[in-house]
Amino acid sequence: MQAEERKMKILNSTEKKKILEQLEQFGIEKLNYLLFQTGKEKIRGYSGNLSIQEINMLARTIRVEIIGLYLFKQDLGLRLSLDATQILKPSKKIINTNDIQAQSWLKGEDLNITTNQQGFVIIKHNQDFLGSGKSAGNLILNFIPKERRLK
Amino acid sequence: MTNYRHFEPKALFEERMKKLIPDYENWFQINKEKPINSIRCNTLKISPEALKEKLEKKGWKISQPYKSFLEIMIVESKLLPGELGNSEEHLLGYYYVQEISSMMPILALAPKPGEIILDLCASPGSKTTQLAMYMENQGTIIANDRDLDRIKILSANLQKNGVSNCVIARNDAVQLCEKLKKSGFLFDKILTDVPCSGEGTIRSSPKTFLMWNIKMINKLSRQQKKIASSALSILKTGGELVYSTCTHAPEENEGVVNQLINKFNVKLEQINLPVKTRPGILNWENENFDKSLKLACRIYPQDNNTEGFFLCKLRKEK
Repeated sequence: MQAEERKMKILNSTEKKKILEQLEQFGIEKLNYLLFQTGKEKIRGYSGNLSIQEINMLARTIRVEIIGLYLFKQDLGLRLSLDATQILKPSKKIINTNDIQAQSWLKGEDLNITTNQQGFVIIKHNQDFLGSGKSAGNLILNFIPKERRLK
Repeated sequence: MTNYRHFEPKALFEERMKKLIPDYENWFQINKEKPINSIRCNTLKISPEALKEKLEKKGWKISQPYKSFLEIMIVESKLLPGELGNSEEHLLGYYYVQEISSMMPILALAPKPGEIILDLCASPGSKTTQLAMYMENQGTIIANDRDLDRIKILSANLQKNGVSNCVIARNDAVQLCEKLKKSGFLFDKILTDVPCSGEGTIRSSPKTFLMWNIKMINKLSRQQKKIASSALSILKTGGELVYSTCTHAPEENEGVVNQLINKFNVKLEQINLPVKTRPGILNWENENFDKSLKLACRIYPQDNNTEGFFLCKLRKEK
């Protein structure tokens, strides 16, 4: 955990609207979270019932490290975290994988799949959402975090 | 390398346990056995039915021992070392590897969506993720721990389990309560699953037998009293606090709660759990405890084929 992670900025309605616009490409229309930007790129979502004033008061009173769930990263486009794909259940830009491809993906390997989808895509195996990848012509680049990979 | 599975308890430890547990021999025998593989389905991501089907497809035999808590599962099949923690379903956050007795404090606390709950000594996050699951990611959990390395583990587990209603804080437990008290921030419910001597976890960490000493128990008892007293000061009137440990030592259990009863206007509540429990004890080492402590729950490994635990629920009165 970096020191900068603790510096959290609450996104305003305009900033949240921009995120929602970017999420439309994945078929996600609602985002019932208070959004926080941590560091330069990461966006976290808090689904709890504390008001912004209460959160600010808490942050002044005690040492708060993290709030909510890591949802996205701004990385020349919006990259959904593995857990965000499972919880937000995108319906567009989905790449369906077979058993062998899904196993390779979960081991952290890039997939040799040709798709006309551009930018970030969502990897799915049957009913399971397996995170995001980046389409690069005939390859989908893997973003499964090291600690979440199959050994 | 020393094989901790072949241990001999220290004489004082054995003497105390014999005094505390009438069927000491049964307790001693089960502690030589490895614990069963229990998991908790993470309903924030998958239903118990769907998870069971997935795991059975892999060839695992799954049982659900409690009809009212289908999320609690036992993997009956013999697994390879590390297989439970390295399965696809675990990496996707579909289940949490958690000992059954360790799930009981949250069942006792009975969290509901919308409540404001403090998990005072939260890492590694087994009970925090269980809280969020029953709260359906609504309401707020403040999950606190003191150490940065433990916070990292807590944070990783909350992420893997899809927890989004949590504020992670890094503070000394007593100081956190003092600061929140000053600011007037109060909680509906509090879990104080305090650091303890771990006498109940000998099946999974037999080295506890080697590390055990009475000085440590007395030191922990003093620390636990401070933590639990501080926590009560930030509980709303009518609010509930669950005090729990994974140890059997009365100094760390009834002794701590007895002090809370004497010091605060609190009342012990009856708890209904799906496992067999034994009542709290009413005297130990020439000290008599409040009679209501019989409502506390002692969980012994030999009663449920689990590990050992102690828990009780206190309600703050007007």
